[in-house]
Amino acid sequence: MNDETQDTTAAAIDAVGVSRSFGGVTALAEASLSARFGEVHALVGENGAGKSTLIKILGGTVKADSGGVRIAGEDVTASGPAAARRLGVGTVFQELTLFPWMTVAENLFVGREPRGPTQLIQRRKLARSAEDVLARFDVHGIDPRALAGSLALAQRQVVEITAAFMREPRILLLDEPTSALAENEVEWLFGLVRRLRDEGACILFTSHRWGEVASLADRITILRNGTNVATRPRFDEGEAVTLMTGRTIDRMYPDRPAVDEGAEVALRAQDLGGDGLHGVSFELRRGEILGVGGLAGQGQPELFLSLFGARKLSRGHVEISGERARLRSPADAIRRGLAIALVPEDRKTEGLMLPMSVKDNLTLAVLGRISRAGIVRRKREQSFVEEAIQRLQIRTRNPGVQAVGTLSGGNQQKVLIGRWLLAEPDVLLLFDITRGVDVGTKHDLYKLVVELAAQGKALLYYSSETEEIAQLCHRVLVMREGKIVSELSGPDADAEALVAAALREEAA
Amino acid sequence: MSTPQPSASSGVRVAESLTPDRRRTLVTFGAAILVFVVGAFLHEGFASASSVKAIMVVASFVGIVAAGQTLVILVGGIDLSVPWVLNAAAVLFATASLGRDTRAAYAVLVALGLGAAVGLVNGLLIAYLAVPAVVMTLAMNGIMEGLTLGRTQGLTCETCASYAPPSLQEAIHSDVLGIPVDLLLWLGVVLLVTLVLSFTTFGRRVYATGNNPVAAFLAGVSVRVVTVVLYMLSGVFAALAGIVLVAYSGQPTLGMGDPFLFQSIAAVVIGGVSILGGRGHYLGTVAGAVGLVGLISLLQAQNMPEYGRSIVYGVAILVVLLLFGREERT
Amino acid sequence: MTTVPSSAMPSHTGVRWRSALAQNMPLLLAFAILGGLTAVYVGLFHGQLDAFPGSFEWTSIVNTAMPTVLVAVGQTIVVLTRGIDLSVGGVIDLSNALAATQMQDSVASMVGWSLAILAIGAAFGALNGVLVAYGRLQPILVTLATLAILQGLALRALPEPGGVIPASYSDALANPGGPWSLLFVLAVALGWLMLRRARIGVRIFAIGNDEQAARAHGIPVRRVKVVAYALSGLLAAASGLFLSATTTGGDATAGDVYILTSIAAVVLGGISFFGGRGSALGAIAGAFVLTVLTNVLFFAGIDPLYQSFFQGLFLVVAVLLGAVLGRLLRGSA
Repeated sequence: MNDETQDTTAAAIDAVGVSRSFGGVTALAEASLSARFGEVHALVGENGAGKSTLIKILGGTVKADSGGVRIAGEDVTASGPAAARRLGVGTVFQELTLFPWMTVAENLFVGREPRGPTQLIQRRKLARSAEDVLARFDVHGIDPRALAGSLALAQRQVVEITAAFMREPRILLLDEPTSALAENEVEWLFGLVRRLRDEGACILFTSHRWGEVASLADRITILRNGTNVATRPRFDEGEAVTLMTGRTIDRMYPDRPAVDEGAEVALRAQDLGGDGLHGVSFELRRGEILGVGGLAGQGQPELFLSLFGARKLSRGHVEISGERARLRSPADAIRRGLAIALVPEDRKTEGLMLPMSVKDNLTLAVLGRISRAGIVRRKREQSFVEEAIQRLQIRTRNPGVQAVGTLSGGNQQKVLIGRWLLAEPDVLLLFDITRGVDVGTKHDLYKLVVELAAQGKALLYYSSETEEIAQLCHRVLVMREGKIVSELSGPDADAEALVAAALREEAA
Repeated sequence: MSTPQPSASSGVRVAESLTPDRRRTLVTFGAAILVFVVGAFLHEGFASASSVKAIMVVASFVGIVAAGQTLVILVGGIDLSVPWVLNAAAVLFATASLGRDTRAAYAVLVALGLGAAVGLVNGLLIAYLAVPAVVMTLAMNGIMEGLTLGRTQGLTCETCASYAPPSLQEAIHSDVLGIPVDLLLWLGVVLLVTLVLSFTTFGRRVYATGNNPVAAFLAGVSVRVVTVVLYMLSGVFAALAGIVLVAYSGQPTLGMGDPFLFQSIAAVVIGGVSILGGRGHYLGTVAGAVGLVGLISLLQAQNMPEYGRSIVYGVAILVVLLLFGREERT
Repeated sequence: MTTVPSSAMPSHTGVRWRSALAQNMPLLLAFAILGGLTAVYVGLFHGQLDAFPGSFEWTSIVNTAMPTVLVAVGQTIVVLTRGIDLSVGGVIDLSNALAATQMQDSVASMVGWSLAILAIGAAFGALNGVLVAYGRLQPILVTLATLAILQGLALRALPEPGGVIPASYSDALANPGGPWSLLFVLAVALGWLMLRRARIGVRIFAIGNDEQAARAHGIPVRRVKVVAYALSGLLAAASGLFLSATTTGGDATAGDVYILTSIAAVVLGGISFFGGRGSALGAIAGAFVLTVLTNVLFFAGIDPLYQSFFQGLFLVVAVLLGAVLGRLLRGSA
């Protein structure tokens, strides 16, 4: 259901009938996409709808099984990334292409370093050129001499984006470019995108955040199940969600159950101090969803990891159900009834074992319960696995064999959470579980969170999306520089107030 | 390493439920059998019962050392100290036994204990002090070499001329129901390691650690403890191999462990265990060991001079690798 | 939650110094160890013989270290791409065997055979590279196999230790009169510094950092790997030539010990086996450390049979020292 016929001389991207499968799983089924020069085009859809695959095909790193792709009028269906580069295509994919042990400057100029007459790189010129570039693109706070690997993820994304823009692409492909960026960095990126568009380039980007899509895109294409479902300049958010998921979600955020005033304090933190934490105290009751907000990198990950015994505390203590708990390792925490679902910044490394089966991943935290004397009891394991799959509606063909790495992103997330649900914890530490997750799965996860609270579990919840924390949590602790600077609850805890509290100086 | 669901019906279901790891193990066994087939073609009697038995016995030595190597490689490590742990244990076994049956049990325990102790040190420094495995075990190899040479003054000490206890020597050379005792011992090792890796929670932890140590840690796996235990086991298996070798040949020699370093690594990697960790199984290593030793024996049977054997060995490894050992295309 | 602690804020010079120090720490440590060990050597020498080491001693150290220096630099290049080259020992074996049997006492013969041997080393290295990059085989196994092939060829060329190296060749490469070979060390060091700043050098580092990212940048990963392994082979062959010059004779198994020695030198040089970072200058320092260590052990009166013990212990301590310092420098990031 495409737009009216466009002027083909201005067609930057023209993909028709593109299909691609990976080992029996169809990623794209005769998808089409048309984007013009001088336009910002958004590509949206659920995880597994085919967005990343389509973008990779456009960039030349993945080849289509069938169909045709034209870039700037030239047929590139059978070509690789070199052809795309030649035609002026720039890319910023989710997998960053920074070299961790090279400096920011070296990364920016890889392959095009300033060389002297001897063809050897001129170090000083490189450093100066890098400073110039960073200044030109209004990037502050990043030392060009720093190793790329020492930067926080958001900073690395900024560098990668800068490198792409630096090359003055005619066509820019951005896959989830804002996933790790803070709000001011997102605005910065949007500024760059608009400027590039005004210079006549075509920018194609994917995002899970509807707000961004609506504000930035000139036209939006919705993919579902590998096909282009609709392309229009504007969509109603509800309409878009329906087109993306094939179902109607009336309300994104389910009602919160009220917290029993007399409910037991499941977790009490007293003056926690350590690397990145400077005196955090709070109480978390059963049935409560306690949010942790603030700008990214203000100590929230350290807090979660310390509570879980994965990081050492230099002072303070933790009480679980009234008893002091010495949590020296995650194993200790698990034994005391804690569970942590932590989606790390780069999604892949800290969560799942991708080559291992769904079954093995699910049962990893409850090995003691599915075994006797160290030997695994298959029947018990089987029932545990089935329970988790049922509960979370995890789509997997053969959990005993299928590697978790072959599941879609949303399903992978479910496996991670499933692992912890099986451990039947009393307290759940949920850190950014909806990052990079599509709308449909997000809704499912919100329902799950609320349901767990209704069952009497205590939940500590962090998300990089302020709106989410505001809507989902009973109370929110705003963190800044390793301390809690304010606490908002009830109607006061709306997104605006949270942002304001995060940016304000420490409360008197 | 996961097990397929109990399949009610056809072989197709089983084949479909084979993980890539298992498929690779089967392929390696196929390759090993191929070696014997080719050998039988080139030499009458190569694939005869007695010839196969002899080859299997030699393979068992590699296989026992490779058991430990498999375990540490599964968690992304490596054990370069096996040559001199084997040698030191062999010497310790002989000298502690003083050639007497009454001291046999003591000698075995002491030698295995040495292997465990060395493995413990390796494991502790690698897991807790973050010394890279290549460096630590390489250094440990040198340390054990120096200790052995120094303490025995080049194997010229008083007790150094000891033989292994005669009862053990005899046992190793005898058969039970037609199967050499040595092979039964290896079978025991195979069963033990397979049991641990495939059926125990410890095995799950090993694979989790090898695949993603941080995620494993967050899931409650004590990654460091697992690592230390695996290096200890590697040391024990190397020591066991040393004991068996001395029982077999009667006396230890200096440098007897050297060939086993490269051969154990080759057997492991040919067997489908990824050098990066997390994938593969000891059964694959067994196939790799048998195939490798079979190949070496085949070359020796060809009466090739040493230089020729070396060249053909190298070429054959490359051929096997090209056929079966290619990494995924990224 | 990055694995490398963040230290990207360039607030003031103090912090800048600290991060520069942290980045170069492994290299500096390697030279510090070399300096310290040399001081110990001088001290022990003086203690034993009441005199300071003279030209003879320094010459002997440099000449003994030369083969290790060369093979260590070659190994560094391969390790930087996240690989390993176990066949270097075989290349040295073959080089030594060929030199001892083929080289005649004429300039033409010496130069000709030197070039031929270097070419053979590079060719085998390229073979390794092709098998690793195009064959997609694991480096540890490929080089294990080519090692066996090279050892066989070396034995064929020289079945028993023997052969003769022309005296003038020895004089040129391993001059006994003075530490002239330091010039060769300097040449290698300069070559490395040039390599680092050349396109090929950047590509080698890039591949070791992140092969996928390198490919995304359009770097011809496979071709670069072939070059890296070819360089290793070339340098191993050069190492073999220097070994021949020093030992003045041939032994088809003399190179085997250099496999682990080259790895030890790389380790001491602070180069990571994960690839992507490190300087061959560190490996050069590491090579000298190993040679001086042998001398230190001798003058300390250590029973030569215990030598490996102390070498192994030294290696562990050096690594631990590096780790501790690294942690201290990164400190409160």
